[in-house]
Amino acid sequence: MPVNLTPNAIAAIESGDVNAKPLVQVLDIKLIGSTQERYRLLLSDSVSTQHAMLATQLNDRVKSGRVTKGSVVQLIDYICSPVQNRKIIVVLNMETIIPDCEIIGNPKSLAESGSAAQTPFPNKNLEHPTRAGGNHFGAQNPGKNVQSFPPTVQPPYQPPPNYRNHGPILKNDAPARIIPIAALNPYQGRWAIKARVTAKGDLRRYNNARGDGKVFSFDLLDSDGGEIRVTCFNAVVDRFYDAIEVSKVYLISKGSLKPAQKNYNHLKNEWEIFLETSSTVELCPEEDDSIPKQQFSFRPISEIESADNNSILDIIGVVISVNPSVPILRKNGMETQRRILNLKDGSGRSVELTLWGEFCNREGQKLEEMINSGSFPVLAVKSGKVNDFSGKSIGTISSTQLFINPDLPEASGLRNWFDRGGKNAASVSISREIMPGGSKNEIRKTVSQIKDEGLGRSDKPDWITVKATISFIKTDNFCYTACPLMIGDRQCNKKVTKSRNTRWLCDRCNQEFEECDYRYLLQAQIQDHSGLTWVTAFQETGEEILGCSAKELYLLKYEEQDDEKFGGIIRSRLFSQYLFRLKIKEELYGDEQRVKITVVKADSVSYSSESRYTLDLISKFTK
Amino acid sequence: MDTSNPAVFVNAELLRLYVGRRVRAVIQVLQSDGGVVMGKSTDENQIVVKGSPPAPLSKFVEIVGIADSEKSIRAEVWSNFGDSFDTYTYNQLCQLANGEFKHLFL
Repeated sequence: MPVNLTPNAIAAIESGDVNAKPLVQVLDIKLIGSTQERYRLLLSDSVSTQHAMLATQLNDRVKSGRVTKGSVVQLIDYICSPVQNRKIIVVLNMETIIPDCEIIGNPKSLAESGSAAQTPFPNKNLEHPTRAGGNHFGAQNPGKNVQSFPPTVQPPYQPPPNYRNHGPILKNDAPARIIPIAALNPYQGRWAIKARVTAKGDLRRYNNARGDGKVFSFDLLDSDGGEIRVTCFNAVVDRFYDAIEVSKVYLISKGSLKPAQKNYNHLKNEWEIFLETSSTVELCPEEDDSIPKQQFSFRPISEIESADNNSILDIIGVVISVNPSVPILRKNGMETQRRILNLKDGSGRSVELTLWGEFCNREGQKLEEMINSGSFPVLAVKSGKVNDFSGKSIGTISSTQLFINPDLPEASGLRNWFDRGGKNAASVSISREIMPGGSKNEIRKTVSQIKDEGLGRSDKPDWITVKATISFIKTDNFCYTACPLMIGDRQCNKKVTKSRNTRWLCDRCNQEFEECDYRYLLQAQIQDHSGLTWVTAFQETGEEILGCSAKELYLLKYEEQDDEKFGGIIRSRLFSQYLFRLKIKEELYGDEQRVKITVVKADSVSYSSESRYTLDLISKFTK
Repeated sequence: MDTSNPAVFVNAELLRLYVGRRVRAVIQVLQSDGGVVMGKSTDENQIVVKGSPPAPLSKFVEIVGIADSEKSIRAEVWSNFGDSFDTYTYNQLCQLANGEFKHLFL
């Protein structure tokens, strides 16, 4: 059967086109070389011929007979170098397409063929590639008298514009092989995949420098467990948006492969498919059981504790509580809904799951009703995001999917565990719903760690939390005389000096006044089981520690001179325990570097939350 | 301090394991009359406490006594623990004190 070789292939190669991967025929093979075995081929494109040297790594092809006289081959890697005012083609890689074939055409040596065949392929010309639009696989093209075969590597299709409307053009209508999604890559050439849609994204409109556009994506899963996202822009959206339905299986081909956008795409694939108008998407109506409906990789809740912030994962658990929806103002000024649920599993841990937006009204509402009616449903979460704001919790993102009581072995396992006692099993929340102080990134240290770890010595101050007891309060100079005048909306607070008589003078405000303010400048010693240290507390924290204003104490000591009452107050504040938030920084005092510790907050200890914290420490201790 | 007969921290589940032994438990008082107090244990089950409390009971009470059955304690000492109590933490304590840290308690 006649086969069409790539027209003008020889001329193209000679002009420097080494990307066309043309089909040529080997007319002759000669062994050359005295010291090293080299084969010289005579290649033909059915019109012209040219010699080419075979790279030695391909010698085997000739020896084994895969390439002989008459073979039609596809040149994959080849170069054309000028040698002694001749051009020598060297073939570095090729594929045998037809091992044995009659001589095609009437090839003559290039020099004889004349100039007609010398138009080189312009590499960039991609207008109107003559593919039959809407290819459906399995349809051979009987009328064309062209032999169809599946090539192993397909070149990017670039027909020369001169041959657009006349002359035989090699058109390959054979079905592209179905390959696993995991094998997809941009260098693949023709490919086809058969996969199930596991998620269909919303149609999104956007506006950027190039104007308006629209986009939507859907995720695919194939029988080998490979996953990939498919994205369509603008006109392509119109073509495929309605055709794609979740959980149906499709045969997809002719899309382009590009690197996945990791910000949005959390599937385990470095590539993403972008469909074009020429892409084909064909519904497979028969059920394909080899392709699962959904793929999860569930982690036990206890493992979430060690997961990285912002990582994406799947979890499954029994819903033990559902809070009502609350409206939340987001950073961009938009209001959305938020709901908090708690999930529990057999790992002895429970976790907070935050639902955002539509999830609150859909799944969240349903779950709330189920909990209220006394049942505890199993919830599977696909692509939830880890958040480390307070302990570790999971939040929904746009690509999250929630499944209530899914038909999965893990779900029935959980159901059994829960109903048979798991319900009452103690569970520690890794989301620490009762947060002491509620500060972000709270680092707990003991007093001795301040010195041992050299805190405060870097160029930025260290902020830590220490649970400790006040063991001593310095009563000399526990406060200073401060300027009460306002600068803007804040008080000046600079130390004022006594001017003549009883008046006070502030250098900064340059004013005198009768009454000054008294502000704490407290030096105290705090102690825990590991050690003790000096700290400084200013006005607000001083008041927290002493329980009264600096002015009161000052008047008590210096005006009323009631030492007994003063001493009584001080003594009563000793040995109270606080959760201190400390700022630690090394500073230069004179010519000495000293570590200064300031009390930023002194919170009384809530035994309940402190116990939870300690329980958590214990659980980590025993691991 | 007499450490000869330490009382085991129990909830309802653990009480079964220490029948005949000296135990201590914190319960939420549900009902109290006729020499019997019905209480809810920290693991949400019922415990019967036999005996008459010497004084009016607060919402949460610690009982120290002998476990005379899988579900009841014959009280010797009653201590009022007030009206707010973190039962979750106490329950965790019971589990730890009878589990991996038993050697620290008994």
